[in-house]
Amino acid sequence: MLSDSDAISLEQAKLEGLRRGSRVIDADDLAVGLEDVWIRYKPMVDANRTIKGSVLGLWNRKRRDAKKKTRVIEAVRGVTMDIGGGTVMGIVGANGAGKSTLMRAMAGILAPSQGRIVVNGRVSTLLALGIGFNGNLSGRANVVLGGLAAGLTREEVENKFEEIAAFADLPEGFIEMPMRTYSSGMYGRLGFAVAVHMDPDILLIDEALSTGDAAFKEKSMDKMRELVSQARTIVIVSHAMGTIVELCNDAAWMHRGELIQRGDPEEVTESYLRFLKVGESAVVREDL
Amino acid sequence: MTSISTDAGSTRRTRRSADFLENHHVYEAHRIGLPPMRPYFRELWRRRRFAYELSHTGLKADHFESPLGAIWLVLNPLLLAVVYYLLVSVISSSTRSQGSAYGFAYLAHILIGLFTWYYVQNSMGIGATSVTAGGRLVLNQAFPRMLLPISSVITSLLMYLPTLPVYVVIFFAGRALDPKSGLPPLGWPVLWTPVIILLLTGIGLGLAMIFATMMVYYRDTNKFLSYIIRIWLYLSPVLWTVDRLHGWHRILLYINPVGTTIGAMTDIWINGVQPNVTMMLSSLAWSVGLLVVGGLLFMSRERDFAVRL
Repeated sequence: MLSDSDAISLEQAKLEGLRRGSRVIDADDLAVGLEDVWIRYKPMVDANRTIKGSVLGLWNRKRRDAKKKTRVIEAVRGVTMDIGGGTVMGIVGANGAGKSTLMRAMAGILAPSQGRIVVNGRVSTLLALGIGFNGNLSGRANVVLGGLAAGLTREEVENKFEEIAAFADLPEGFIEMPMRTYSSGMYGRLGFAVAVHMDPDILLIDEALSTGDAAFKEKSMDKMRELVSQARTIVIVSHAMGTIVELCNDAAWMHRGELIQRGDPEEVTESYLRFLKVGESAVVREDL
Repeated sequence: MTSISTDAGSTRRTRRSADFLENHHVYEAHRIGLPPMRPYFRELWRRRRFAYELSHTGLKADHFESPLGAIWLVLNPLLLAVVYYLLVSVISSSTRSQGSAYGFAYLAHILIGLFTWYYVQNSMGIGATSVTAGGRLVLNQAFPRMLLPISSVITSLLMYLPTLPVYVVIFFAGRALDPKSGLPPLGWPVLWTPVIILLLTGIGLGLAMIFATMMVYYRDTNKFLSYIIRIWLYLSPVLWTVDRLHGWHRILLYINPVGTTIGAMTDIWINGVQPNVTMMLSSLAWSVGLLVVGGLLFMSRERDFAVRL
């Protein structure tokens, strides 16, 4: 068992290693800066999720102890990474690597438990759940509400709506139908259309391209290339290595909340794929 | 090595904060604490249209699909008022010999009391689930979460306002049909109505924020809430009148967050008098108090919501 001071120095040593490994970017050119970001949370499966549970816990020792035992999940563990403006960054990693959590933190949805995140520019998110928070409302209402929540004015949303609808190109009439009637592909199309039309400086895309058909994938790739040419920053989480290699000029590999490798997309995806085949023992031996 | 890296970090910090742009964000660790107030309320105000549109589209989707549509918004409290009126009249006439006290004025009293009570009840009820129901939005977008309970209160207000003209029509019909009903002529005290609605809005929003926060942590909150709401209604001067309370019993009126506010509403519309100062001050205290307590509780916890949904 290590003492506290040992643990800290170990953490810092790891941090230094990562810092040396990651590119140092001039502050003026920084789009997203992550400084030793940790995100912890308690899984919500414990007995005390209900008032009843809490009240019973007051005099029931077993329940109280059960609460104490609840594990703290460390979704992101000390990630330090600078993402420069105009970069197309691909993040790869196995399920549960903390990629989506990190994306949410960059979007300001989750706060880090430790560390610091600096974001320069307007962020538009297309996260795994996508758009359409209320399935009873039409696609149009969801787009409008999403835009308003993002801070656009009613006029701006109205102006963008036609463009969004045209890009999403849903089957006739679906835009006015409740979103619960949409197929997952239609969800994906509309979500992507909204995200890219919000004039983002930084676009965060989380596994969203997977639902579209081939034609729409091509269209979204074109749109992303267009955004890249306008010096926007894009962060993509994807399990499609082809997309990462084709689109990105920078890549990172996360595993169990830690940043394992950072660099050229081809190299990163290659070592990630090698790891997937070899299994976990290899990554332990891997130099950070 | 360590000191070098921290120095680098701090120079970047100072350089960045010098050119603080609207598009520049810094997210730092915190557990429970209030967000910076000025940007919070600036962002809240900027998105006020969202709160309105959310309740408007929600109401439309919920109420314009059934055949009677929006009429239910008025019909529902009206029918409930009749049910309560019959209930109380029947119970009372079996225990008392003279049922004269339960005339038209009493029905009017139940109507205005119940309509007003429903404003607060809906604010609490819809507000309690506002954050959990907006889960996808909360998980996908950063915005001041307080917009969600605010939107619930707007929904409740949009449901409440149409019931007031209905009450006025019944009020005049009652006076015309039964001159001895005891209903007062409409006078200046009625002008207090907007003030009371404003106070109720504060109370409703405060409670909505408290229960919305509880709901995120304890998912069975709204099960408890439905019983709390029912008991609360019976403890409020809706089915009974304020003048039934004597001596120390009057304290029941003041420890009830909506007691004096609903009492004041009845004073205006049923007794035709101005609400008394003590009752208005008590209402103001509850309104401001709940708004502050609810607001601080909600804001201090809201950055924790995304991991709890």
